[in-house]
Amino acid sequence: MPDNPIRENELLTTRRQLFGRAALGLGTAAMVNLLGQPLGADETPGRDDLNGGLHHVAKAKRVIYLFMSGGPSQLDMWDYKPKLKEMYGQQLPAGIRDGQRITGMTANQQNGLPLCPSKYKFTRYDNQDRGVYISELLPHTATVAQELCVVNSTFTEAINHDPAITYIQTGSQIPGRPSLGAWLSYGLGSMNENLPSYVVMHARTRFPEQSLFNRLWGTGFMPSEHQGILMQNQGDPVLYLSNPAGVSRADRRAQLDALVALNQEQHRKFADPEVLARIKQHEMAYRMQTSVPELMDLSGETAQTFELYGEEAKQPGTFAACCLNARRLAERGVRNIQIFHRGWDAHGNLPGEHESQCKDIDQASAALIKDLKQRGMLDDTLVVWGGEFGRTAYCQGGLSEKSYGRDHHPRCFTVWMAGGGVKPGITYGQTDEYGYNIADEAGQPLTPQPGKESWTPGTMHVHDLNATLLHLLGIDHTRLTYRYQGRDFRLTDVHGHVIDDLIA
Amino acid sequence: MKTRFAAALLFALSPFFGDDARAQTDEPVDFASQVLPILSSKCFLCHGPDAQDDSLVRLDSYTGATVDLGGSRAIDPDQPEQSEILVRIHSADDPMPPDDATHPLTDAERELLDRWVRQGGAYTDHWALVAPIQQAPEPASADANPIDGFIETPLQAAGIALAAPAARETLARRAALVLTGLPPEPAWLETFLNDNEPGAYERLVDRLLASPRFGEHQARYWLDAVRYGDTHGLHLDNRRGIYPYRDWVVKAYNDNLPVDDFITWQLAGDLLPNPTLQQRVATGFVRLNPTTGEGGAIPDEFQAKNNFDRVETFGTVFLGQSLTCARCHTHKYDPIEQEDYYRLLAFFNSTAEPAMDGNAYEYGTVARAPANQVAWTEWEELAAARAKLISDAEKDLDHLQLSQGETQRWQNGSLDERLTMLADPHGPFGQRDQRVYAQVVQTGSTNAQKQFTTTLIARDLPKPRPTRLLQRGEYDLPVGEPLEPTVLPGMGAMPDGAPGNRLGLAQWLTSPDHPLTARVMVNQVWQRVFGDGLVRTPEDFGVMGQQPTHPELLDWLAVDLQQHDWDLKRLMKMMVTSRTFCQNSAHRTDLDDPENRLFARGPSYRLDAEVLRDIGLWASELLDPTMGGEGVKPYQPPGMWLAMAHPGSNTKNYVADQGERLYRRSLYVYWKRSSPHPMMTLFDAPSREASCVRRSPTNTSLQSLALMNETQRVEMARKLAERLVREEQEEGARLERLFRLLACRAPSDTERATCLSLLAAMQERFQQDKPAAETLLAYGDAPRDKKLDAAQVAAWTQVTTTLLASDTVIQLY
Repeated sequence: MPDNPIRENELLTTRRQLFGRAALGLGTAAMVNLLGQPLGADETPGRDDLNGGLHHVAKAKRVIYLFMSGGPSQLDMWDYKPKLKEMYGQQLPAGIRDGQRITGMTANQQNGLPLCPSKYKFTRYDNQDRGVYISELLPHTATVAQELCVVNSTFTEAINHDPAITYIQTGSQIPGRPSLGAWLSYGLGSMNENLPSYVVMHARTRFPEQSLFNRLWGTGFMPSEHQGILMQNQGDPVLYLSNPAGVSRADRRAQLDALVALNQEQHRKFADPEVLARIKQHEMAYRMQTSVPELMDLSGETAQTFELYGEEAKQPGTFAACCLNARRLAERGVRNIQIFHRGWDAHGNLPGEHESQCKDIDQASAALIKDLKQRGMLDDTLVVWGGEFGRTAYCQGGLSEKSYGRDHHPRCFTVWMAGGGVKPGITYGQTDEYGYNIADEAGQPLTPQPGKESWTPGTMHVHDLNATLLHLLGIDHTRLTYRYQGRDFRLTDVHGHVIDDLIA
Repeated sequence: MKTRFAAALLFALSPFFGDDARAQTDEPVDFASQVLPILSSKCFLCHGPDAQDDSLVRLDSYTGATVDLGGSRAIDPDQPEQSEILVRIHSADDPMPPDDATHPLTDAERELLDRWVRQGGAYTDHWALVAPIQQAPEPASADANPIDGFIETPLQAAGIALAAPAARETLARRAALVLTGLPPEPAWLETFLNDNEPGAYERLVDRLLASPRFGEHQARYWLDAVRYGDTHGLHLDNRRGIYPYRDWVVKAYNDNLPVDDFITWQLAGDLLPNPTLQQRVATGFVRLNPTTGEGGAIPDEFQAKNNFDRVETFGTVFLGQSLTCARCHTHKYDPIEQEDYYRLLAFFNSTAEPAMDGNAYEYGTVARAPANQVAWTEWEELAAARAKLISDAEKDLDHLQLSQGETQRWQNGSLDERLTMLADPHGPFGQRDQRVYAQVVQTGSTNAQKQFTTTLIARDLPKPRPTRLLQRGEYDLPVGEPLEPTVLPGMGAMPDGAPGNRLGLAQWLTSPDHPLTARVMVNQVWQRVFGDGLVRTPEDFGVMGQQPTHPELLDWLAVDLQQHDWDLKRLMKMMVTSRTFCQNSAHRTDLDDPENRLFARGPSYRLDAEVLRDIGLWASELLDPTMGGEGVKPYQPPGMWLAMAHPGSNTKNYVADQGERLYRRSLYVYWKRSSPHPMMTLFDAPSREASCVRRSPTNTSLQSLALMNETQRVEMARKLAERLVREEQEEGARLERLFRLLACRAPSDTERATCLSLLAAMQERFQQDKPAAETLLAYGDAPRDKKLDAAQVAAWTQVTTTLLASDTVIQLY
């Protein structure tokens, strides 16, 4: 007989089996550390005294990522280019394009590459720096200009949706790698015992164009426990949450009690620690059956809240409802929340589509920031807004004053962040007068254009964005690694630079 | 006491436990696994293949490291103590790596380098690149299974015995689950348990190996490795016509196709002389990479990406190597140069399909093939009959006086055309006895071919596409001259006369000189049987991967497999009939070996997603045994595809099947790569966008919810409950039957008390609330047996749900 059952259990609990648990409190990376298998040269586990960080004090404890899938037009919302008005309909100068590849959709179009000014009025809003231009498409977002850190010089190499969104979410254009959220779960674990640590929502849109893929919140070669949990708009909010009709909560309790007894019997015979771990998961599932409905129940929210987010927040599945849910999830200790809003791929009829899209997201995005702020949560909640690439300065299809389309543009686009340790109220980086290339302070295109190989001040490659996000959450992106096929993989591959200029 | 004993034991068995356990100062250092990773990550940047400065000493070869540097050498073979490395890595004034290096040495690394240099600083080849040699085991007894000799010898040296044999019931369940992915048929179980003659277990194993369920279960692992999916994977993620390939894999396993043929047909079946339909369909392997049809995408970019995917999957599946690094730069650890990568890639760069899939079901080269397993069997019979008729007719040709035109028609005709001639009453063969039979075969063939469906296959362009090295892996930065398809260096030579195409590549892989293929295959199979491989990193046999726990065993099996015609069933039989496999799987309190690296207990692990579902379908008698055909769609929560799919996608709407298609084995569940069925992904199935040779078992609360609440699981639980209530009259007997089906044994007293107490509580509850019982029994499409009392069946449903979710059922043990 074992002389010390606790020691016995420790002996039997292996690293692999620990990995197999949905880690609570500590991420797997942190656990690996506790078990003495270093991740990097001088790794330390994520700790309370680091504000939940893994390598250094985290500025943000949680992140809410508002993902605008399809490539929102920076030129119609953020990157104000009066020059394009003067150049209306004229061809994009070859020197500005500078041999850049463009997609097969506009490479050979009959009207060439006619420059296309935004039809929307831009206003300069005061922020805490030199001010920020925001178009009339985003009147509510403009009211939080003081909080936003707007990066107009974000860039990527990918020029098509699938590779681009896979790239910004997983660090590779080819599927197979863990997502940003999976890395966070792996590195930092969960902060609560009743809800998943990584929640993904799909917001409704009138233009459900461009696909999403499980891989965007998937785990690639990492264990699947780190995958994002979909919060569904119909049926059970979390898959298979509800007992079958006809089975009451008391019935389930009775079943679980029996299940625990059966599993303990199994454990007595086989001493597999995994069996004990599974008993804990059954109990967490039981708790989730009340914690998730409580989460989804908005009856306790005040009229002021709905005024803030808009009435749409009462309709499940709207972007507003997702934002309100995001705040509620954040309050309950969910570390990582991502809302995907599709429909930004405006190849034609951009005004018609973007007006609808902006209406979907504008008020609620601003509301989320205000709401977090009034609850004292903005300081340690990072909010990120952006898509996988931007849109072109030239028109795709027919150009008129009223309507136009824009093709995919990887060379520059806009991402904003707020709260969670980023500098509030600044703009960062600029583009040339066509909004085509990343430019220096004087507006001259950088030559050569920045690349991922080395960081150029004033620019933010998608790897830099991810490096900076991880940094804010207390992770050194070069040290959060996962070994697969003999290689220590990173979210940022062998690239990425933490942009100190953005950090408060 | 025990802890100290465990520590001593651990030391004795240190080779099994990797680096942690062997920090002894005079312990021999293995260059490839211990030193090379340090050199490559800390030194090679300046002193290796990527070095910019030619004047610096090179440390990537023994020759380089022993060059005379004007009085000193980095490694001094004559006076190791004088080696410059020893000085510099400890130097305070002029250290190496320099003070400002990004990656300084750790103390442990310095100690290893010290030890290695003092031991002579030898550079050795990595074990996996030296062809396996068969060394006889030291058998414990004359008739012992060779596997046991290799497992027991080191144990005996440490004074450890194998665990006691597992209970026969447990063993029967284990063997059936490992071989067929289902519990044993009750009749087989009974026969086995009543068979007290020697060889009883072997007879059970033979039955299992011969069961068509064997191929279905084994195929599943392979389909993960080769990333089989029913959709293109990227962008619209539209339907793709390739399921005959999946059916072929099942058939190949069931037919016990030799593993070398299994490899060759998939890589190059189209290049074999007069390829059969099976051989051509098998080349679907080459076409399994995810593809896109995204508007505006640049074909050259995706030609490159498709090739990266193919060559890297090839590396993982057959070589147990990641080649990914070499896409962009020369591999740091393993001896693969960037140019080697692109030479290998050249084998795959000339397939005829365009780079973009056009979102089409039939994309690129396709064949027409049987649409399910029965059709395959019928077709094989017809094809054999046709071949026989033709060869018989060939023998008669001299006697029949064919005109010149007829002779020409015969000689140039396809098999079908020749058959038509044989069947024609007015033709040159019209008078032969076999004509009527030929007509029957011809009608049968024609009808069979009408039912064929399309499947993606490989075909090479008449003129190969030129392949160039791509700088940093960027498709638009090709450099240098076109590269000829060439196999990787250091892994055996290309066999004499092997063609410079995919067929030659297959011949290289399957040649006896190849150090990796057989080992990698054996390891994959060992992992299926024992839960973990002999190499615990099946995806990485490189220097950064783990060393085999039992290298001699791995080599012995690899050679044995090749010497016995690559006979997979024979190999698996040897494994499951070993004493090693048949041990009790209880974790041992006398050993500190939680990962079972010693194999001193039987295997145990949580069963895969597919097996969990199949067990329930089988026990409830819902399982539809139909084999093959288009992927099936069981219940799925509404809206999951629509919430993510492009409006133009033809897989945006998930429409669940009806009738028997709801109840096929999980192998046949439709695989949409951007959103596989949630019951698969929740239980760790990969997306099949990338190769996966090892699923990571996880344990989450969402799994608990799924096990208890998912529609099909409720449905199978209630049909199982009906079965119990119908087939047995008394509660105790029903419970016995339930345990017999799912655990192959009777319940223990505790289990009996637990289940009957739950049953009693639920009976009381549903007696009082009949509508609740009826609601529960309405889950799923399978009609309820209204002759049975709803409260009774509902109460039993609660018990079956619970047992089906318990570790008694969801684990192998």
